[in-house]
Amino acid sequence: MFKNHLKIALRILLRNKVYSFINIAGLALGIAAFLLILEYVSLEKSVNQFHANLPTMFRLLNQNSKGESWAQVEPGWATKAQERFPEIKSYCRVAESVGQGVVKYEAKNVSFREKKVAYSESNFFTFFSFPLIKGSASALQKPDVVFVAASVAKKYFDQENPIGKTLTLYNQFGKKDYLVEGVFANMGDLSDIQLDFVFSLETLKNPANLNDNSWANLTNLDSQYIDTYFQLNQNTDYLALEGKLNVLRKELSKENDDITFRLQPFSEIHLASSFSDTYPHNGNIKYVFILSGIAFLILLIAWFNYINLSTANALKRANEVGVRKVIGATRNNLVMQFLGESILVNLLAFIGAIFLVTLLQPFFNEIIQKNLSLSTLLSSSLWIIGLGLLIIGSVASGIYTAWGLANFKLIETLKGKLHKSAKGIFLRKSLVVTQFSISIVLIIVTLIIFSQLKHMQNQDLGMNIKQLLVIKGPEIGKDSTFKNRVNAFENDIANLNFVNDYCTSGSVPSNWYNFTTVGFTSAKSKTGDEQKPYSFVTIGHKFLKTYDIPLKAGRSFTEQECDVEWNNNSKVLLNEKALEQLGFKSANEAVNAKIKWDERYLDVIGVVKDYHHKGLQTAIDPMIFYPFNSSSYLTIKLAGENMNSKVATLENVFKKHFSGNPFEFFFMSENFNKQYETESQYSTLFTMASVWAIFIACMGLFGLATFTVESRTKEIGIRKILGASVFSIVQLLSKDFLILVSIAILIACPIAYYFMHQWLQDFASRINIEWWYFVVAGVLALAIALLTVGFQATKSALMNPVKSLRTE
Amino acid sequence: MLKITDLEKIYRTEDIETVALNKLSLEVKKGEFVAIMGPSGCGKSTLLNIIGMLDDAEKGSFMFNGEEIIHFNERRRADLRKRNIGFVFQSFNLIDELTVYENVELPLLYLGVDAAERKQKVEAVLEKVQIMHRRNHFPQQLSGGQQQRCAVARAVVNTPKLILADEPTGNLDSTNGNEVMQLLTELNEAGTTVIMVTHSEHDARFAHRIIRLLDGKVVMENILG
Repeated sequence: MFKNHLKIALRILLRNKVYSFINIAGLALGIAAFLLILEYVSLEKSVNQFHANLPTMFRLLNQNSKGESWAQVEPGWATKAQERFPEIKSYCRVAESVGQGVVKYEAKNVSFREKKVAYSESNFFTFFSFPLIKGSASALQKPDVVFVAASVAKKYFDQENPIGKTLTLYNQFGKKDYLVEGVFANMGDLSDIQLDFVFSLETLKNPANLNDNSWANLTNLDSQYIDTYFQLNQNTDYLALEGKLNVLRKELSKENDDITFRLQPFSEIHLASSFSDTYPHNGNIKYVFILSGIAFLILLIAWFNYINLSTANALKRANEVGVRKVIGATRNNLVMQFLGESILVNLLAFIGAIFLVTLLQPFFNEIIQKNLSLSTLLSSSLWIIGLGLLIIGSVASGIYTAWGLANFKLIETLKGKLHKSAKGIFLRKSLVVTQFSISIVLIIVTLIIFSQLKHMQNQDLGMNIKQLLVIKGPEIGKDSTFKNRVNAFENDIANLNFVNDYCTSGSVPSNWYNFTTVGFTSAKSKTGDEQKPYSFVTIGHKFLKTYDIPLKAGRSFTEQECDVEWNNNSKVLLNEKALEQLGFKSANEAVNAKIKWDERYLDVIGVVKDYHHKGLQTAIDPMIFYPFNSSSYLTIKLAGENMNSKVATLENVFKKHFSGNPFEFFFMSENFNKQYETESQYSTLFTMASVWAIFIACMGLFGLATFTVESRTKEIGIRKILGASVFSIVQLLSKDFLILVSIAILIACPIAYYFMHQWLQDFASRINIEWWYFVVAGVLALAIALLTVGFQATKSALMNPVKSLRTE
Repeated sequence: MLKITDLEKIYRTEDIETVALNKLSLEVKKGEFVAIMGPSGCGKSTLLNIIGMLDDAEKGSFMFNGEEIIHFNERRRADLRKRNIGFVFQSFNLIDELTVYENVELPLLYLGVDAAERKQKVEAVLEKVQIMHRRNHFPQQLSGGQQQRCAVARAVVNTPKLILADEPTGNLDSTNGNEVMQLLTELNEAGTTVIMVTHSEHDARFAHRIIRLLDGKVVMENILG
């Protein structure tokens, strides 16, 4: 019996090639999209889950009264907490970002600027489960030791054995030699902690190694810069411990601030446990949910296709069902037969999907910026849910079709009179409407994301970042001759004929601020205003000119003012937002006024017009500009084209004055647009998803149109004999489908509006949702549907009526 | 074999009632060959469908092998049908995706007959209707006569007690038609009861008895020599 079913299933597939292709390809496309997205979600779910101590690992957070929390805490708490609370089994502190600088391998004279750098507690490699390739974990207990990632070992030492070699680190703690004592496996996509260098935190315990940065003292309780992780004893109530930690904080903290401690389970560092979870996360649960939603919707479209096509096709097989019943088939026999067919189709589609996934994987990885493959699916138990969903979907759609067929009235099936069951037609129409609603929502979403992206990229930033090239300042060789060399370098740059302008600064747009701090008041300030934050940028005297940032009132700094020692300076510039926050009514009122910064008084010498220092997702912050000849960034305004040769010239000049330093540069416009990477990814992803969805939906529509035309062949023939024009027949056949798509447009518009309105709230500078997005999406959907149906309709309208009557 | 008394069947659409069978009574004995004739719309096919348990009646009595089956539900009717009745249709009703052999084998599959017995039975009946050489062909590759012989083979493969034929020669030329009639006669002579609906006086002469219907009633019976 099974063999008979399989045989007939295969023969039927082969006989109706178009139908089979549409059905299998549609399903395969749906499943492929589902699998690709499931890969991504699986990866996201499995990040950080590999640590052996995971269930007992927690991260210490600081939280302010507004509910904002962050991972940089004061370094002294870890020891204090462990002394006091026995439920803390161990702690591990990791000082990230403060260690960034240039690493040099003297023996070969190679150096690179390194960002993934941290000073870590001596138990780092036993606390976390990062596998060591070489060396012993205990070596980190010594000062002046470094462990490097495998990729770093290759980069600096190539084939040589890295163990025992010396690397020199140049950063804010000065110049220091470290002995390489271990190599660890690259941390990879599955870890949120991303380090290339693990320097021993023991090093910083020696005050001589702090280079006068007393804030970095490891016992201090007032400067927040270190990530602190705890391992607790089994079954510790971590919320109770959190309470005790806060009591400890109140008791020992000298600062009278509103900051409290929070403990975050390490397993929740990547993805939040819920949308309301406001703790810092490295992954994006929203993104995961949106993608999962898209995956499911595309799969749904594919299944609806399958149901629609199979039930439509089933009508053609009514006679077969009747004959089988007459010669003895029971309903169960028939249900089993059709179910078998649907499982076969789904199985073939699944195989097709695997093939498609393998084919599309590289493109998808490019968009999503991850290294995914089918084996990623196995990294979390999510694949079981995925597989379950696929099986349930195929069985459910199969049973639905089978049941409908098996329940046909016997006599009618023998006469083949089953073309119009009102219920079946209503269902089919609803499914088409749903498919197109989903597709149209996706089209509108794509349009709006794309427009928002374009809006951000084209918005007037309040400055001119075209032709700006930024060079990162030198780190190596800050000796007594450094100041003179910087001056000589700047002179050389100024004399280059393609340099229109140049300036130095401590930070540049799109690369954050120097720092953000509180404690500013003016004569107009109210109590509490001293708690409001201001973002600090140190600039050289040509900064505003080079970036084309206009002044609203007053003047910019002079060259002499920028040469004044940090603590002796008394002049600042404000932006308009800072002006407002300090309580000034106008720019003119602010100029020459004094503001107070803790105990110091500063003169406001000018007001800068607001410009976008960061991307347009966020509002402009109140900013204070401080005159300082920093060598962190040198921005150069270039003239003309042919950047490559100019960059080469600049590199030569740089190397001449700062030998041993890596020459690193970026173009400001590129760097600025990098801030829109997420939005850009969204845009590409939604474009893909909507093209994908509408393609599958149209395949279904094409199939349905084919069946409709077939079942109305006789009607078309009669109409033609009675004098109907080709156009009127195309119109007749297309009308029904276009009505369905129109209903879908009506359903899709408010849904898309709702979601995109929400999405746009995240942007300080956003587009309005214009009516034409909906019109464009609607017209597009109608046009695609018309094209799909029209092809079949025209074909049948052009057929010889005698022939169409005879085939009936 | 079967006895029908005062059978009524009415087709209803929203505002029209059509009386298909009007208190019709009829008896067929075991081993008989009965032809049912009458103009279009007289109720022939309805009667055959009810006898074949494909359709049910409104009122009246239908005794099959001494058992009243008028109130049987679909499942019981289907069970009775697959053990006792074989069908031959005007339009053959072969399954296009199955070969001759597979078409004939199908009733045995549904009865759960084991493979060896199936093979033996199918081959025997294919020999009998003389299309053994076409066993691996698909219906579209056969002539009309061959298709109908295949359909007859399928109807008799599980040796039913009753064969119902609905205009079995309606789609055939006279030569092929005669062959099929010959086949039905042979089956009847071997002991199978045959009830046949036909428009053809020529075909009707193969039967023992001709029953003529008009407006859902028996209006005349001819007993043939």
